[in-house]
Amino acid sequence: MSNVSRRKVLAGAGAASAVALGLAACGDSSSEGSGGVPNSTQGPDVSKNKDGAMDKYGVGDQFKATKPLKFSIMILSNAAYPYNANWLFFTELTKRTNVTFDATVVPGSDYNQKRSVMISGGNAPLIIPKTYRPDDEQYIASGAILPVSDYASLMPNFSDKIKKWKLEPDIDSMRQDDGKYYLLPGLHESVWKDYSLAVRTDILQKLNLTVPKTWDDLLNVLRAMKTIIPAGGYPMSDRFSVPPQPAGANNLLSILGEAYGTHAGYQWQATTFKNGKFVYTGAMDEYKQMLQYLNTMISEKLLDPESFTQTDDKARQKFSTGMSYVMSCNAQTIQNDNKQDIAKIPGATVVKIPVPIGPIGAAMTGSRLENGVMISAKAKDSPNLVAMLQFVDWLWYSDTGQMFAKWGIEGTTYTGNINDGSFKLMPEIKFAGLNPTGTKNIQVEYGFYNGVFAYGGSTKLLNSQFAPEEVAFQEEMNKRKVLPVDPPHPLSADEREQVTLWDAGLKDTVAQNTVKFALGQRPLSEWDAYVSELKAKNMDQEVDLTNKSYDRYKKAHG
Amino acid sequence: MSAPKVIELPPESRGTSLAPPGAPDRVIPRRQKTLRQSIRKDWQLYSLAVLPLVFFVVFRYLPMAGNIIAFRRYHPGGSIFGDQWVGLRYVRLFLSDSTFWHVFTNTLILGGATLLFTFPLPIVLALLLNEVRTRFLRRFVQSISYLPHFLSIVVVAGIIVESVSVDGVVNQAVKAIGHSPIPFIQQPEWFRPIYVSSEVWQTIGWGTILYLAALTTIDGNLYEAARIDGASRWRQTWHVTLPGIRPTMMTLLILNIGTFLAIGFEKVLLLYNPLTYPTADVLSTYVYRVGILTGSFSYAAAIGLFESIIGLVLVISANFVSRRAVGTSLW
Amino acid sequence: MVTVDLRRRVGATTRRPNQGSRAFNAVNAVILTGVVVATLYPFINILARSFSEEHAIRSGQVNLIPKGFNLTTYRTVLTDGTFWTNYGRTVEYTVIGTIISLVLTTCYAYVTSKKQLRGRGLLIGIAVFTLFFNGGIIPNYVLVSHLHMRDTLWAIVLPNAISVFNLLVMKAFFETLPTELEEAAEVDGMGTYGILLRIVLPLSKAIIATMVLFYAVAYWNSWFSAFLYMDRQDMFPVTVYLRNLIYGATSGTNEDASTDTALQIAANIKAVTVVLTVLPILVVYPFIQRYFVTGILLGAVKE
Repeated sequence: MSNVSRRKVLAGAGAASAVALGLAACGDSSSEGSGGVPNSTQGPDVSKNKDGAMDKYGVGDQFKATKPLKFSIMILSNAAYPYNANWLFFTELTKRTNVTFDATVVPGSDYNQKRSVMISGGNAPLIIPKTYRPDDEQYIASGAILPVSDYASLMPNFSDKIKKWKLEPDIDSMRQDDGKYYLLPGLHESVWKDYSLAVRTDILQKLNLTVPKTWDDLLNVLRAMKTIIPAGGYPMSDRFSVPPQPAGANNLLSILGEAYGTHAGYQWQATTFKNGKFVYTGAMDEYKQMLQYLNTMISEKLLDPESFTQTDDKARQKFSTGMSYVMSCNAQTIQNDNKQDIAKIPGATVVKIPVPIGPIGAAMTGSRLENGVMISAKAKDSPNLVAMLQFVDWLWYSDTGQMFAKWGIEGTTYTGNINDGSFKLMPEIKFAGLNPTGTKNIQVEYGFYNGVFAYGGSTKLLNSQFAPEEVAFQEEMNKRKVLPVDPPHPLSADEREQVTLWDAGLKDTVAQNTVKFALGQRPLSEWDAYVSELKAKNMDQEVDLTNKSYDRYKKAHG
Repeated sequence: MSAPKVIELPPESRGTSLAPPGAPDRVIPRRQKTLRQSIRKDWQLYSLAVLPLVFFVVFRYLPMAGNIIAFRRYHPGGSIFGDQWVGLRYVRLFLSDSTFWHVFTNTLILGGATLLFTFPLPIVLALLLNEVRTRFLRRFVQSISYLPHFLSIVVVAGIIVESVSVDGVVNQAVKAIGHSPIPFIQQPEWFRPIYVSSEVWQTIGWGTILYLAALTTIDGNLYEAARIDGASRWRQTWHVTLPGIRPTMMTLLILNIGTFLAIGFEKVLLLYNPLTYPTADVLSTYVYRVGILTGSFSYAAAIGLFESIIGLVLVISANFVSRRAVGTSLW
Repeated sequence: MVTVDLRRRVGATTRRPNQGSRAFNAVNAVILTGVVVATLYPFINILARSFSEEHAIRSGQVNLIPKGFNLTTYRTVLTDGTFWTNYGRTVEYTVIGTIISLVLTTCYAYVTSKKQLRGRGLLIGIAVFTLFFNGGIIPNYVLVSHLHMRDTLWAIVLPNAISVFNLLVMKAFFETLPTELEEAAEVDGMGTYGILLRIVLPLSKAIIATMVLFYAVAYWNSWFSAFLYMDRQDMFPVTVYLRNLIYGATSGTNEDASTDTALQIAANIKAVTVVLTVLPILVVYPFIQRYFVTGILLGAVKE
């Protein structure tokens, strides 16, 4: 990297983007203005920050600092495998990269709050992992975190995976109104659907039914189940309602909303991109249709009304006593909760069915990005900045780094290769459903597969952790079409402040009425009255502001 | 309380509350003329207050400067005193937000209802306990009654939600009287009774401790005197016991009035859901959702100041009324 | 100069129980039994769950008696070295914190209880004002940071040394003490310190016991300060440890270790936490309780 002054670089960037605008339509992933590559190929001046960094570091290279380095980092301690400074993970990491950690250990129960306080208090570590979107946004205005997009050229594996897996639109959705993004997200090769419905397959068998493929199928299945369920029970009684996000029955609404082409539950967004502009999700026709479906479920007594408010424990209790046959689940809970809960019911079996299909057909939405790493802005003045970015790039984004973080050391904790199916954990090492007779838990004893360092990655890497049942589920889901993510529409700090306030009132109204309409406490004939209530709470203003910032961003960055 | 007694003093005494030597039968507190004289007379007393004052200044008043962000734009990670003056912007923002007034009203109602029940009931329980003859039984009941105080909010919320669920204890009773089960947790009109009952349940036992300690200070002779005068148990309670614990009662009442807006958000958060927002959403949950979760700390600080000012006004008023009405006050 | 305490309990009443008295006793008994049941039942239920087997808990079969008695969760927690390290921390913080709080609170309460003291109103006002106005989490964090108290015991015991609530209650108590005793002591030539130590404190056993209880329990249960100011795992009190354990066991994140033990733990970790936290207090409380019933100096002052 030559000694180019920052001003010259920015001027160059301006020229490059002007050319890009003229040449290519926006959204074209090959244009210079989008994707993980900054507008200039050179990035900011880092000539003074190269201490310890490798001169030539590229895709496939093992990062090793040219001298021993120490980086401060925030590590979330998950009580299931509490932090242990002596883990093989740490010692081997130092051996390979010449880097040791100066760790601030934070209990998982309150990680976000501690992170917020440390950043606000001015003594946050340089590397801050486990950050979920959009939690990073509040730190941007103060300049407390680094605009990592400026430095993406120093992170070859990160940039390579974005290009290889065509993640440019997803990355673009993270950009702020200055065109930069501030989080290094976890990258997935394919959309990873984890949540769906758990269904008692022995009951299906008893009733001579097949696994429901569409939401209409599901209605019929539930109707049949109703004929044999004991008095006081409901064929479906759901969980994932506490805390409500935003209305309760978070997963049911999430997958149902997706099937109808809107956003609800876990996937709730204030605005949805439809026909070239943004509209308010809670007022969409599709949202109304989804509520209509729910209402049918409730009025025919196929869905337990308590689904929207009960605790997970309560829902599980009903499932385990045969008072319900269907409930929401994910890969983890189907193994740990559902299967265990019905263990005492003779002949009971349960399966996570592929997500039912709705009016939009066999398609799914979803980002291929997940939680990631923030870098403190203080790093800009650190002499080891480049080395640190290379280190982060290797550990979190390179194939060898990801494999190491997840499964450890070949010959010690595993044998074989994940790409040709020969991968196998060593017999004494156990993890989740794999090698249940093993004596040493890979997370607890060795520190591998730690949620702070190991996530994301290629589909093959992801599948290596799954039981065969889950792999089958993933393969079925991956046959579906992936719909594009919404384009970026970043707000300025001032606008965000205003929108936050409007949004609070609007979201409450939507949440309340979602449940009321579903439960039939409010007839759907009052839909228009409800939309007027939303208007009275500044819905139109919020949508206008969103569309304005979408237009603004489109004009500025393409 | 018995009448003040006159005490003769040798001339070299150093009391502050006594008549000058030679003055007959009058106990007049004599005001010191100058500050220096009072400090010299009571320096030992003032010295006792030094360390606590240091505590207040360093750990309470210094951080208070942080409240300035209610009037300045603050961004997490930036200067803790904010970046620029914005004056009353945030104040105007929340004053004009209809959701704010709604949750404020909810807070007033919920706080008032809680106060109405959680204030007198520990007193009643303490008095009832006092009437139990067997010491062992009294101590046993008292020790059990404070157990709920130690349960974490998460556990308590779990207990409550379970009890009022469709097949929980409460609905078993409802079914027993022939009614169909009521989904209490989903109905806004039931939130307040549920919340207040859980507060009473959790605090009643612990609240008696203070009163029981206060009861021990009552002069036994007064009871003797009342009994000799032919007073029944009830009259003894009314004329001896209650006045005896009045200072404790009034102190607690004034303090509780001052802080009744501060309804903790964690409990409401665990008990409410969108269906009960109309009655359950209070200032603290609102500030949590809108201010804290989104990083709008300035907004949260502005609302916090608003609450504080109201609390202070309430305490001063309550203190004033208490002083006039019953003669006891905080200051 | 002072009388011996009355061994009778306060509020002694007539010796002949009459009709109304008996009825009252009966009603009282019913009410108090109700209180005991209402407060004891959930606790027994929690105790039972802490010893019960996972499936029985999940399907709602556990009521007052453990089903599938096992000590898995207890064993997991109690054999973890970190648990004991943190438990030691809790004890450390509680003892030191309570002592500091008690000393500071008592001094200030005594001073402000002197009605004729000049500037008394100001002193009280300084305390009461802090009841309503505080700086918030971040200014406090920055302060503690600048004082280099992070990761030390002082971050726990200093910032919350005085509870104004306790202070005012204690002050109200001191104000009820008959002034003659102190005046007489002054006549005898005792200074303020002496009076406080030799006259007032012995008279105040009930309120001191109460304050010890209030402060000790508050420190015992506190986790927020520790979580905020401690960055090292071995400095956490046991409350943070247990809170994190509950979160880790019940959050269902995808990277969790999942074994039979983990499932058992997830089922009753909250119950075990409650038992482990409350047990020490239950054990200690009876020792404090006796100060509430006896031992107060009353009555005669030498005339």
